[in-house]
Amino acid sequence: MIRVEGLHKQFGPVTAVDSVSFVAPDGAVTGLLGPNGAGKTTTLRMLYGLMRPDAGRIFVDDVDAVADPQGAQARLGVLPDVSGLYPRLTAREHIHYYGELQGVSGAALRARTDELLHQLDMMGIADRRTAGFSHGERTKVALARALVHNPRNVLLDEPTNGLDVMSTRAVREIIRRLRGEGRTVVFSSHVMQEVSALCDTIIVIARGRIVASGSPDALREQTGHTNLEDAFVALAGPEHEAVP
Amino acid sequence: MIRTLTQAWVVMRKELRDAFRDRRAIYSVLFGSLFGPVLVGVMINAIADRQREVEDVQIPVVGMEHAPVLVDWLRQQAGVVVVAGPADAESAVRDRSEAVVVVIPDDYASSFRASKPIEVRVVSDGSRNASRPKVQRVRRLLERYSSEVAAMRLIARGVSPAVVTPLRLEDVEVSSAQQRAAVILNFIPLFIVLAAFTGGMQIATDSTAGERERGSLEPLLVNPAPRAAIASGKWLAATVSAMLSVVITTVLCLILLRVIPLQDLGIRMRLGPGHVMGLLSAVLPLCLLSTAIQTYLATFARSFKEAQSYMGFLMMVPMLPGVLSSVYPITSQPWMYPVPILGQHLLMTEVLGGKAPDTSTFVMTAAATLVAAVLLVRLGTALLRRERIIFGR
Repeated sequence: MIRVEGLHKQFGPVTAVDSVSFVAPDGAVTGLLGPNGAGKTTTLRMLYGLMRPDAGRIFVDDVDAVADPQGAQARLGVLPDVSGLYPRLTAREHIHYYGELQGVSGAALRARTDELLHQLDMMGIADRRTAGFSHGERTKVALARALVHNPRNVLLDEPTNGLDVMSTRAVREIIRRLRGEGRTVVFSSHVMQEVSALCDTIIVIARGRIVASGSPDALREQTGHTNLEDAFVALAGPEHEAVP
Repeated sequence: MIRTLTQAWVVMRKELRDAFRDRRAIYSVLFGSLFGPVLVGVMINAIADRQREVEDVQIPVVGMEHAPVLVDWLRQQAGVVVVAGPADAESAVRDRSEAVVVVIPDDYASSFRASKPIEVRVVSDGSRNASRPKVQRVRRLLERYSSEVAAMRLIARGVSPAVVTPLRLEDVEVSSAQQRAAVILNFIPLFIVLAAFTGGMQIATDSTAGERERGSLEPLLVNPAPRAAIASGKWLAATVSAMLSVVITTVLCLILLRVIPLQDLGIRMRLGPGHVMGLLSAVLPLCLLSTAIQTYLATFARSFKEAQSYMGFLMMVPMLPGVLSSVYPITSQPWMYPVPILGQHLLMTEVLGGKAPDTSTFVMTAAATLVAAVLLVRLGTALLRRERIIFGR
């Protein structure tokens, strides 16, 4: 479970995230929906401890992520916005590296790696160097290494961005399975269909603020639009201020 | 603490495995290590060859039969072999089949008896630097014969040869071949120190600036490993590579000095395992600092390219003591030993000079270098906590 209270982040004169609060419960998918530059990535970066909020509190399974970012990181599986791989290492070596950094080792690490390779349907590419991998294969490797320590909470920043249809379906499949296993899943997207197909709760962010939240049905009701896309446009507003 | 160490070990292993699958990294280690020894070998061999050529000179003489006494005298000189010259002396020199040819005229004997000056031609090509020492040797030999004959003629007429020698020139050549070779041998410490800087460069930049440019720094830092572990893992990987490069260079230099005919140059320099141990214990600790500087700079750099240009500037630092000491002779003072790079330069010079300082001096230099390195790694660790560094600027 992830609990966020009054999160605030300022970049010079620009307010990137402004009093954002939400709760992402176990066994549910929470979607951060918003246009590019709305503050989704900044919010997630504060959750996984690489950015320090100017104000606000974050709890990951009751661990204070601001005071103890490493404690929170041990409970999080993270797929950041940019997930570069090492072209000269194999898929399996990527998973092993992150496993060892997470404190998993030996037989447990080998077993967990095999499990992930099976789950993500990567057995065919497990021992190939990642240099020539397709975008979908790279995303799978990045996901697998993020999940190696079996985290209770999973943060995915635009996980389907740039993927083809088949890979997008595979990623959705993985997200559903993670929810089925009782984990907390938070993912961000600027794609309507994506969010409406997967999320139990949608949090709409625009210009750093939460403008609406609730189940897809609740959002339609709230805005009076039957089409979720119209609802989104109505909530986010047509003009967006770009924020890094 | 123990966790930091094990995590640093994990990072180091990964960086080394990654780097040694990279051809560029292997080339930079190999090239950095081979360049110096090979250059020294080639230069010393060239000097030795030249020297041998001058000492063992073969003189082609045209018209030997006209001056048997002169030819006999030449043959008695050490290292001189007289052979029959080519029919066309000038074209033989021009097409470079001969460096120098001596031509004795037909009227040698009659002119000699009449005590008239004899025109002996020394055919050479002044545009060829390589043949100049040989030509000079031949000229000097002929001049010496000429003055010996002159002295005898004067004595026969009851005049002291000293009367006609108002000036007696004596050449004092300060740059002997031996000294030139010794200057080149002085490059060896420089090349070993350079190896400490080139050997770890690739890993230092690729694992920091390269990591960010690939977009793999952010996911890496999401792992709950202390920043200190990540920074020191990368630093240690670069250090291992730099040390490897230093060992290769030092061992190659040793092999080289055994293979090269140094005794031909009159240099008595025997390098044994003791010298190698001395050189290595002087320079290996420097690898910790050179890679700490590189890792720090490359972490700080905005891009991989910027990092590489920092590395270029950094390469000039190890050259400083060598350059300074050639302009302004450095006499070792106690305060110089704890100064990184300068200290190592002094230690190596003294080891090669055969008077190695005692162990405490080595330890002091190494300790000072290590302190500086650890300080820089701590600064680098602090950089990895900055949002601007993690996400780029």
